[in-house]
Amino acid sequence: MDNIYKPYLAEIAEIIDETPDTRTFKLKLKDPEVAKNFSFKAGQFAEYSVFGEGESTFCIASSPTRTDFLECSFKVYGKVTQALNRLNQGDTIGFRGPYGNHFPLEELKGKNVVFIAGGIGLAPVRCVIDNVLDWRDDYKDVTIIYGARSVGDIVYKQEIAEWKARPDVKTVVTVDPGGETDGWDGEVGFVPTIVEKLAPKAENTFAVICGPPVMIKFTMPVLEKLGFKEENIFTTLENRMKCGLGKCGRCNIGNVYVCKDGPVFNYTQMKERPQEF
Amino acid sequence: MEEKIISKEDLLNLCKDVIGNGHTLITPGKTEYTVVKDTSEIVLDTTAKPTKASYKTFVFPKAEPVIYYKRGKNDVQLLDVEVEQKKTVILGAKPCDTNSFNILRHLFNWDYKDEFYNVREKQFIVIGLMCNFSDNFCFCTSVGSSPVSDKGADIFLVPLDENNYTLRVVTEKGGEFIKDYSKYLNAGDEAKTKAVTDTVKHPEIAFDSKQVHEWLGTNFENPKWDGVGDLCLSCAQCAFVCPVCHCFDIVDEDYNYTEGRRMKNWDGCQFGHFTLHASGHNPRDIQGKRYRQRVNHKFKYYVDKFGEILCTGCGRCSRGCAVSIDIKEIVSNCKD
Repeated sequence: MDNIYKPYLAEIAEIIDETPDTRTFKLKLKDPEVAKNFSFKAGQFAEYSVFGEGESTFCIASSPTRTDFLECSFKVYGKVTQALNRLNQGDTIGFRGPYGNHFPLEELKGKNVVFIAGGIGLAPVRCVIDNVLDWRDDYKDVTIIYGARSVGDIVYKQEIAEWKARPDVKTVVTVDPGGETDGWDGEVGFVPTIVEKLAPKAENTFAVICGPPVMIKFTMPVLEKLGFKEENIFTTLENRMKCGLGKCGRCNIGNVYVCKDGPVFNYTQMKERPQEF
Repeated sequence: MEEKIISKEDLLNLCKDVIGNGHTLITPGKTEYTVVKDTSEIVLDTTAKPTKASYKTFVFPKAEPVIYYKRGKNDVQLLDVEVEQKKTVILGAKPCDTNSFNILRHLFNWDYKDEFYNVREKQFIVIGLMCNFSDNFCFCTSVGSSPVSDKGADIFLVPLDENNYTLRVVTEKGGEFIKDYSKYLNAGDEAKTKAVTDTVKHPEIAFDSKQVHEWLGTNFENPKWDGVGDLCLSCAQCAFVCPVCHCFDIVDEDYNYTEGRRMKNWDGCQFGHFTLHASGHNPRDIQGKRYRQRVNHKFKYYVDKFGEILCTGCGRCSRGCAVSIDIKEIVSNCKD
């Protein structure tokens, strides 16, 4: 009998401490046959589980173009993320996925890209960034704007350093006023202010934005002012989920399921939804 | 569709054979559908009130394991769950129950197929029974059904007189099943059946489901939702007794330090924690929003997705509600 609730087993190959409360796991699917046939697209998510504690939903944070590991990043919040946080390298977790839709990267070839992320919201954006950078020749200007509360809250420091070192990417990192340290060489200011200051051109450009709701709320009018079209602004949503398969009934926003019709939506689609998220 | 006549005595003989053949037989008991051990337990009463709970639990159990696990030092071993495959006959289901599988099937087979549901549903033969019961909570006629509807049944029974039933074969599956029991069947009389069904009193139509659907599409923010469901105790009995509510949770249960199972348990959208994020954010943080979700899911979203109303009009949710919230009344009020 096919069992849609049965997870794959994955080994934690490496643990990276991003911030005091955020970790990244590099995962390897244990069954070689499954690992060989596994594929996903940028923006899809999965259910990660600690047996005895339960399942939790996060995006796949690594790019599908990089097949050595599957990566996920999580902030320690609830029961499952606390349990994940207690695990060590070599331990086994459950992995169910990939689920949901993805960013239309194929259709957007030939355009400029602006990435805007805040806090742990960089995780789902990072997989798109790496995907675009691996297909660098297919896109025009690439701009990354990332904001964190403080210098200590910045995730993916290693990747950010790599992006900064590339001449073909414009990377700007900012921290909220008061979050800077003495040696801080980045920007200081909230994400919407920095976006307004940098004023990326809207023509032939698509934007990927993810972060806390308040950041998105204040960045959207800035993008509109810069001339970005709603259908060219993409975001990825998160809601509480259990099955990830469009059955358990809790992640819907109106008549769309975030797990099946999302998690990636453009802003036209977002505006059509009842405001219940 | 083929109509036959079966005597009461032979219907009981048929049931005896069903049990004798090793199949499971289920009929409405005093409070819920129960498995029949002896045919003397069978009471077929068209005037009986719907049982407190539907027979949903026989295809979609309240709690069921989906995987067993064993933890080693670093390793985990997963063991599959087998679902028992046993032919099951439901005898005497009311029309408001018979349609439930037709509605649920869409959800469990939408893209990903939930075989836990499918394997069980395939074993089922649903024998419906015309209904002569009606109270203030019934509204099957408002959601496209009726007390004489055979929708969703494989076989449908209409009591003709003291001693005889009309047995109508509705589906191919029903025809296949009844073949083994053809010795109990006599030639049918459609005119007689119609004479009986024509006298059945139908519950009044309380609302036009198409208009409700339309209204819901443009009234998500309507102030009418304020206070709707404020009385609600968030007990979710409405979801648990519903023939078609299907929301569930996935939870791990440890037996001991090394072994356990992952469960699929019934859940309900009226629980405050149903949509609560770990961060504390809750998209449906107040009862009004949760009741709005309940009505919309049943009369708008499910219709948009699968073309079916997620409601059979049985009225169980309202009949059993501790604070007398009546879904019929609320839905009837979904208009300008």
